[in-house]
Amino acid sequence: MKLLKSIFIIACIYSISYAENNVTVCENGICKDNISPKDTNSSSFEKEFGDTNKTSTYDPFEKYNRAVTNFNDKLYIHVMDPIARGYSKLIPEGGRIAVGNFINNLYFPVRFTNNLLQFKIKNAAKETGRFIVNSTLGIGGFFDIAKRDFNWEESDEDFGQTLGFYGIGAGPHIVWPILGPSNLRDTLGMIGDSYVNALSNTKECSIKYKIPQTRLQEAGIYGYKQINRTSLHLGEYESLKKDAIDLYPFIRDAYSQRRTQQIKE
Amino acid sequence: MKIKNIIRLIVLISLLGIPAFAFKQSEIESGMKKKIDKVLVILKKKEANAKKGEEIIAIMDPVFDYSLMSKITLGSKTWSSITQNQQNEFMKLFIKKLKQSYVDKLDLYHNQIVIYKGVKPYQNGRLQLQTELSGKGETYKINYNFYNNNGNWLIYDVVLDGVSIVQTYRQQFAGILKEKTFNQLLSQLKEKR
Repeated sequence: MKLLKSIFIIACIYSISYAENNVTVCENGICKDNISPKDTNSSSFEKEFGDTNKTSTYDPFEKYNRAVTNFNDKLYIHVMDPIARGYSKLIPEGGRIAVGNFINNLYFPVRFTNNLLQFKIKNAAKETGRFIVNSTLGIGGFFDIAKRDFNWEESDEDFGQTLGFYGIGAGPHIVWPILGPSNLRDTLGMIGDSYVNALSNTKECSIKYKIPQTRLQEAGIYGYKQINRTSLHLGEYESLKKDAIDLYPFIRDAYSQRRTQQIKE
Repeated sequence: MKIKNIIRLIVLISLLGIPAFAFKQSEIESGMKKKIDKVLVILKKKEANAKKGEEIIAIMDPVFDYSLMSKITLGSKTWSSITQNQQNEFMKLFIKKLKQSYVDKLDLYHNQIVIYKGVKPYQNGRLQLQTELSGKGETYKINYNFYNNNGNWLIYDVVLDGVSIVQTYRQQFAGILKEKTFNQLLSQLKEKR
């Protein structure tokens, strides 16, 4: 009896203390604490997500872009995907990852230059460290030892992001055949990067370390890189596509959101 | 006396453990971690995707504010201009689409690991739980945006590698509504599965 009484008293004290602080309100079995104010003001969400009209209006090349998006879509489904699937059956996953690492390691000059141009000195140093470690301990870049053992993450920067860093706007959206979605700024970025990229051919302006000697070789390397990449991401594009109610604006907006985020980082 | 004290303690502890479905601010990371761990266990099961999807959605459902997500994707202007019936119809179709697209993506899971980067302040006092899905030499950033609904922190958006799901739908719907009526949008949502 005494025990029951004390339990009852404790329970009472407890419930009173809860009521006094007004910390927790229970309703239909769901409890909420009332410390912070409610945040259901829809206009503040409107602000967070921005004006829906702004991004979709300025698209002077829409007609062309739609056509190229369709072309790229067919190219992916009927050419790229089957080739990558076949390739993935020939070469085990570990091998394809290693090839991906090897190619990625060769992009060091692009990442290094652009980190430097954005005054990201620490990241530029880390990229240099990654290149040295992976080229040596990682046997020519096939293994990402720098990430695995030193926890040095890659800082992926390109010239499009550098231009964005200096406040240059995206400009109109442009979809390139084969290369995919881009915009005016990122297209200029691609051209800029090709001068330092070891895997592109810039003819007489070429730095000594350039691997492809002709445009054809460059295209071949690019094609192989894409096949290898696709083989590691089979089914992703098809799955992503299901989120699209209308494919072209879907890819356009996803692209522009991702680039904005990359520039911010 | 001693036993009584122990009982007292037990009662106290049991009173403290108030069940809650959504998270308090301090529980966002630990709560999501528990949920995601459960999801990973389900993902590794050998079951049909549809069944896995159902189980996962049942785990995640309580922390998503689907009605707010529907409202934001449509935009408050459009939302307030349509009838209640249309709102409900839209919500039903949109949520179905969201869940379906989630289930479709289960195939893409190949034993990647989830890394928790912590809860960071986001816009307007909202919070973002940052996670990374790591595997196959590549890392994807998956961020969950939470807002405070009366001390109940709920998800209103998921951001994959910088791409907001809500924003992507929002832009698409805005684009469609420029040329078509709301009912046409609804039927387009119905068709496309």
